[in-house]
Amino acid sequence: MNSDPPDAAIAPHLCSKPVTPVLKVENLTVYQGTYAAVESVSFELPAGTNTAVVGPNGAGKSTLVQAILGLLPFAAGSVEILGCPLARLGNLRYQVGYIPQNFIFDRGFPLSVSELVGLGWVNHRLSNSSQLPSFPRWRMVLPWQTSYRKAAAIAQAMERVDVYHLRDRAIGNLSGGQLKRVLLAHCLVMSRRLLVLDEALAGVDLQGEADFYTLLNQLKREHGWTVLQVSHDLDMVSRHCDRVLCLNRHLVCQGQPEEALSPQNLLNAYGPSFSRYQHQH
Amino acid sequence: MQNLIELLQFPFMQRAIAGGILLGLLGGLLGCFVTLRQLSFFSHAVGHAALVGIALGVLLQLPLNSMLLPFTLVFGLVVLYLIDQTDLWSDNVLSIVLSGALATGVILTSFIQGYRGNLMGILFGDILAINYADLILTGLLFLGSSIFLLLTLDQQILLTLNQAIAKVQGISVQLHRYLFVILLSLSVAVSIKAVGILLVNAFLVIPASTAKLVSHQFTKFLWLSLILGVLSSIAGMLASGVFDFASGPSIVLVQFIFFLAFLGFSKLNRKNSETLKKR
Repeated sequence: MNSDPPDAAIAPHLCSKPVTPVLKVENLTVYQGTYAAVESVSFELPAGTNTAVVGPNGAGKSTLVQAILGLLPFAAGSVEILGCPLARLGNLRYQVGYIPQNFIFDRGFPLSVSELVGLGWVNHRLSNSSQLPSFPRWRMVLPWQTSYRKAAAIAQAMERVDVYHLRDRAIGNLSGGQLKRVLLAHCLVMSRRLLVLDEALAGVDLQGEADFYTLLNQLKREHGWTVLQVSHDLDMVSRHCDRVLCLNRHLVCQGQPEEALSPQNLLNAYGPSFSRYQHQH
Repeated sequence: MQNLIELLQFPFMQRAIAGGILLGLLGGLLGCFVTLRQLSFFSHAVGHAALVGIALGVLLQLPLNSMLLPFTLVFGLVVLYLIDQTDLWSDNVLSIVLSGALATGVILTSFIQGYRGNLMGILFGDILAINYADLILTGLLFLGSSIFLLLTLDQQILLTLNQAIAKVQGISVQLHRYLFVILLSLSVAVSIKAVGILLVNAFLVIPASTAKLVSHQFTKFLWLSLILGVLSSIAGMLASGVFDFASGPSIVLVQFIFFLAFLGFSKLNRKNSETLKKR
């Protein structure tokens, strides 16, 4: 898989600031109706890190990531992705991959695995990048002009997450774990800088979850992805993530897993009724 | 058979078949997204509300299309706006607006003086009355819809499948929703003259739903929906010529027969695959 040069080549007219950190959140406050679901949350994600957001139900984890992605409006604060304010992201949006908490769809939706993976391919972005130097910036790229490159990228992405054998299967016939891998391939079909997973592994069995994390870490190393994920599985988080944000409407603590997931911090975040479960494998 | 061949020599029959093919193509194309986005009731409501536009046109003594097209367009956009602005389910909003529009339409028709035969004809349509201007209008709408939907096909599929991922990927979901409703409303309006208010939704829903029964890939689904739309129109027109049936209902009946046949085939296919798996 081709790894792109930094985003300066993609949208130099938008942001000329250095791109580290990949994500910068400052004093973010998000309301759900009149209720402050997230209050004054600030953190940064350095490039190449795998960061988990943990916290009890109703702590505002999904609200936080949805606000970061521009899916929910925020009342105060700022979000910068790759050095660019959210509202001015423009073509840098294609550098962000997202796997939502609930990927609910009509099981009869006539779409094959390879077609779903191909939906992650964006022609417009290619027209502005060095991947297609023969196309000037101003020129619209028509779908058939990149069909060969697109087909190759789809095949490569499916092979990378081991779903190539499912390429012609309807997405409604996939298991939960297979669907998550296919969605990962959808993100992988183009080079991304930030991958956001919102409880993406909910409903997947433990072995499937472990396999997914292993794959995610491999991809992170190979492609330099920065990962932000919401998770309830503290055991998997402590094994696979570099950093942890403990959230309970406001940020209770942040740091490396062994520090952030200390009993005292977990007590502060989850309350006195919390008990931690550890996997046996 | 001889009668049919003679019938096909008439220009009105040739125009009707051409119109049926264009409507089949237009319905097959837009119908793919109508069925997947659960907009069947939306197009149904727009079709029925067109009665107000038609009644207004007759009252003001304006040509049919000059009142019908703008009315359905504005109606479609207003309904979508209302759905977005309320916390009610979309079918609730559609039922409310449809009832209001139908009541208005019926009251308006009571003000029409003299012969109302043309107005009643609009309820059931008359594809044999299609003229060259109608053909050009339908053709242009199909061309515009094809260019828009096929050039943005990936975006259309993604926003149909999952709006959150589409938004993160930078797709302007709201803009695409409104543009699609404009195409849908105009398509309903141009189809009404041929198949009438009561059957217009069939062109948008039945071929695409039939194709969905047996498709696992979007490209195949799209092609099959288009082919079924065209085949139903041709077969329906020929059947109406041979058996002297009303043309619009004949096309819809052929669409329905295709649906039943494909439903039976898909059930049989599923049963066979399950039997093979058990072995």
